[in-house]
Amino acid sequence: MRHRKFFIALGLAAAFCGTCLVTETSAQNLQATGERQAVQEANTVLQEEIKLAARPQTYLLIDVHQGVVLVKARGVEIHRLPLLSWRAREDRLPVGLFRLTARPPMDRPKTKPGEDATEHPIDVSDMPAEYHLALEPSLLVAVVPPARNHPWLWIRGRMREWWSRAVSNGSSPWLRLTLSPESARSLAWSVTESMPVLIGRATIP
Amino acid sequence: MTHLIERSKRSVSSAAVLAATALAAGLFAYQFDGSREVESRILTAEPRTTSSLAHLRAQHAALKRQLAAYAPTGAYIVVDTARNRLYVKRREAVLLDAVVSTGSGTILDHPDQPERRWVFDTPRGAFAVESKLVNPAWVKPDWAFLEEGRMIPANAAERVETGILGEYAFGFGNGYFIHGTLYTRMLGKNVTHGCIRLNDDDLRTVNRLADIGTPLIIF
Repeated sequence: MRHRKFFIALGLAAAFCGTCLVTETSAQNLQATGERQAVQEANTVLQEEIKLAARPQTYLLIDVHQGVVLVKARGVEIHRLPLLSWRAREDRLPVGLFRLTARPPMDRPKTKPGEDATEHPIDVSDMPAEYHLALEPSLLVAVVPPARNHPWLWIRGRMREWWSRAVSNGSSPWLRLTLSPESARSLAWSVTESMPVLIGRATIP
Repeated sequence: MTHLIERSKRSVSSAAVLAATALAAGLFAYQFDGSREVESRILTAEPRTTSSLAHLRAQHAALKRQLAAYAPTGAYIVVDTARNRLYVKRREAVLLDAVVSTGSGTILDHPDQPERRWVFDTPRGAFAVESKLVNPAWVKPDWAFLEEGRMIPANAAERVETGILGEYAFGFGNGYFIHGTLYTRMLGKNVTHGCIRLNDDDLRTVNRLADIGTPLIIF
């Protein structure tokens, strides 16, 4: 009887160790694969950024892994906007180089001859905190404030997002970025027409 | 005695069945594990895989160096039009942090020529100092006369106005300048027609630190 129990215990231990070994090795392999993919992505992003840095222009770098939107020129970080959260279609982040088709709309005051054109200027506080950036190749970037602090803006943003997706038959990729209203306004202020937008990992783990 | 031998035989056979089950379970798990392909590569050719990751990391470091080569080596100017600040930097060091006035973003239409429109934005992008003027005179453009409700003069000499741009002006293309101002109380606000205004002290510092060719980044 004692022998039987011993062999049963031995068998169970062997089964447990075997399964653990396979699981651990798999986890290590997954980690290594993930790391390699991350470095590969970062290298692809860097290769694109080098091309952008060679030209006299400012560009955006959206790195959701770091949780930042960077305004850059000549490879130098000029301005940093913290990203509160993000979401993409099927949680698959679109990685690559895009181009902004248009700036977010803003109401510019018009002056008449004889009036001081600088009397009613626009500033960053006049910029929207909730808007869409249409990029080429087709990618819709929705910029929204956090729901808990700005429920009305958040709902409006979600409705606009839903409408845009419905119009495009839901086939186009999309990316939703949640930024504080100040950061969202600052981003709307800083972007320019045809501005290059690079999306992807900028640093390696 | 026969009974005891019989029991031992049964125990050994049960253990053998269990061991076989464990082996089969291990093989099953191995067979159906999603990363078997990767695993086998790691296990059979670990040095190659390691060097592959190491190679990617080395490539990353090389690309970083390549990117860093585009960064300005000397002093460069950064203008934040949202917060109306001008910085002169060298690498990470901030050599000057100044309050400025930048473009108002307003629109002026020509009363008689609908196709002529001015948008008073400070241009955003990467530029360079193209010219450096001492005691500059302002050659007033058409919009300045329209804004004042005056006729646009036919004589070019009537456009020249002195003493309002400060001691220096740094041109960065398309008629845009970094220059001084008489309206220092407006510094920190978006009130200009696109130029970047500074107070006299900061203008002198910019003159000391920047030269023709100095990179200028405006966002």
